[in-house]
Amino acid sequence: MTFKVMNPGLFSTMQDAGRFHHQAYGFSPSGAMDYRAQKLVNKLLGNDENAAVLEMTLHGVTLEVLQDTVVATAGAEAKIFVDDETYAPGVPIRLIKGETLTIGKAEKGSRIYLGVAGGFDVPEVLGSRSTHTRSGIGGFRGRTLKPGDVLKSFDDAFQSHGKKIKSFEEDAVIRIIPGQQYENFDDEARKKLFGSEYEITKDSDRMGFRLSGPELNAGGGHDVLSEPTQLGSVQVPKNGQPIILLNDRQTAGGYARIATVALADIPKLVQKSPGETLTFEEIDVDAASGLYKEELVRIDSDEYFEPLTDFTSLRRKSALKISKLMGV
Amino acid sequence: MKVSRYSENSVTVYLGDDISEETNKKLVNLKKELEDQAHEGVTEIVISYTSLIVYFDVFKTSGEALEKVLGEIDLEALQGKPFEYRLVEIPVCYGGDYGPDLGRFEEDGLSPEDVIDMHSDTEYLVYMLGFMPGFPYLGGLDEKLFKARLDDPRTSIPAGSVGIGGKQTGMYPFTSPGGWNLLGRTPIPLFDEERDPQILYEAGDRIVFKSIDEAAYNKLEEQVASGEYEVNITMREAE
Repeated sequence: MTFKVMNPGLFSTMQDAGRFHHQAYGFSPSGAMDYRAQKLVNKLLGNDENAAVLEMTLHGVTLEVLQDTVVATAGAEAKIFVDDETYAPGVPIRLIKGETLTIGKAEKGSRIYLGVAGGFDVPEVLGSRSTHTRSGIGGFRGRTLKPGDVLKSFDDAFQSHGKKIKSFEEDAVIRIIPGQQYENFDDEARKKLFGSEYEITKDSDRMGFRLSGPELNAGGGHDVLSEPTQLGSVQVPKNGQPIILLNDRQTAGGYARIATVALADIPKLVQKSPGETLTFEEIDVDAASGLYKEELVRIDSDEYFEPLTDFTSLRRKSALKISKLMGV
Repeated sequence: MKVSRYSENSVTVYLGDDISEETNKKLVNLKKELEDQAHEGVTEIVISYTSLIVYFDVFKTSGEALEKVLGEIDLEALQGKPFEYRLVEIPVCYGGDYGPDLGRFEEDGLSPEDVIDMHSDTEYLVYMLGFMPGFPYLGGLDEKLFKARLDDPRTSIPAGSVGIGGKQTGMYPFTSPGGWNLLGRTPIPLFDEERDPQILYEAGDRIVFKSIDEAAYNKLEEQVASGEYEVNITMREAE
């Protein structure tokens, strides 16, 4: 037993890289929306890069620490408190039994990822530890965390590599590949798509981002026969307002798809919050493939890390012991 | 055959423009052929009404390589191969609390018995799965049973519910909101994590609903609770 949930935040779920190979049976891939953050926090902690992390939307959790461990956050940046001390995002933090870990609200970005040394121990369902709340499958009992939940992690001796995760760069330009029904949309619709700002509405969640902006009319029809959906599919129903399908999407959909978001731009897209705006830029599938491979190579390299210069977050145990000995 | 790419890690093949058993058979054949060829890097193949999507690992193969593979497949030759599929029997208790909309067909001149007779013992083709895990898009519903969805959708439909929405019949593997006319319910879990297979059917298979009474439903429900139930699945070969 590693943590007890005191405050579950707004929408906190266990996610790994996703539940693949079962889309033909209708299972959404789910998984961490910011795939880069999920991998980076695991790399920092020395975990398997597919290990389960806690994804928190807009607001973090408060956890009672039940056993000594090491944690870190990646993705959206929020204040981190261990009892009264504050720590930075992206650094490994040693926690001691009895302490309280509090992660505040997201101040930059919208999805905060908490990793723990060894990875969170939740059962694998169809090869993945990811939660799909709509079908109640996977993760922690198929649902978001609640007060009183007890979270386990796999045993792992953490070794510091003297690194921290760099702060991520925000960007509102999203590159998109022409989609399955691009031809259903005329020049005017395409001009609007690439020449306007679209706002992320509050009806946006892990299933998809609903956008609001100039209407995109498909002269060739908005309704099509149901087809498999993809991560980042930009579908346009009759009201002309695009919806970007994300990790918890239904695996089949019947709306015309004007485009697909380039996978390399998914991490910056999913860190956007309702109320923020996006602009779109066209990219062809070959160029996008190059970018995606480069991004995966960068994640695997040390490019998103920088040297850890302040080791206070890791020396806490000895510091605490000394202060206790001195009776401070 | 139209082969295109709409994302970095997938290739999409279109083999038709409308819903037809023939297109479905072609897609299933093509999927089997690709699985048999076992290309390095192919991770997942998903079928829909008219298309098939092949997902791949971008570090093990490429869109160009898979487009070439697909271009070399002789679809006509595949059509001549024997075609095996599963016939899955789904026991359904029609009417009562399980099928509150069975009586709504009276307005179309069909008694509950007529609806049950027409709906059960008919083989429905699984064109694809989607909407929710294990939800089959079925073809083969008798036109007389076409019925518009409810004006006021229910907020919660129990898992196992069998119904009709417009021109389609199907079943809800999970409790969910929905506007279908409910005819009955099956006690068999449509997704069972402990079962092999966890989902009983895939695209190209066929489903037949078998009418059971409440006593049989209750007995099956007990067997499901104890984990000792059986589903009748027959392997068939198409002409």
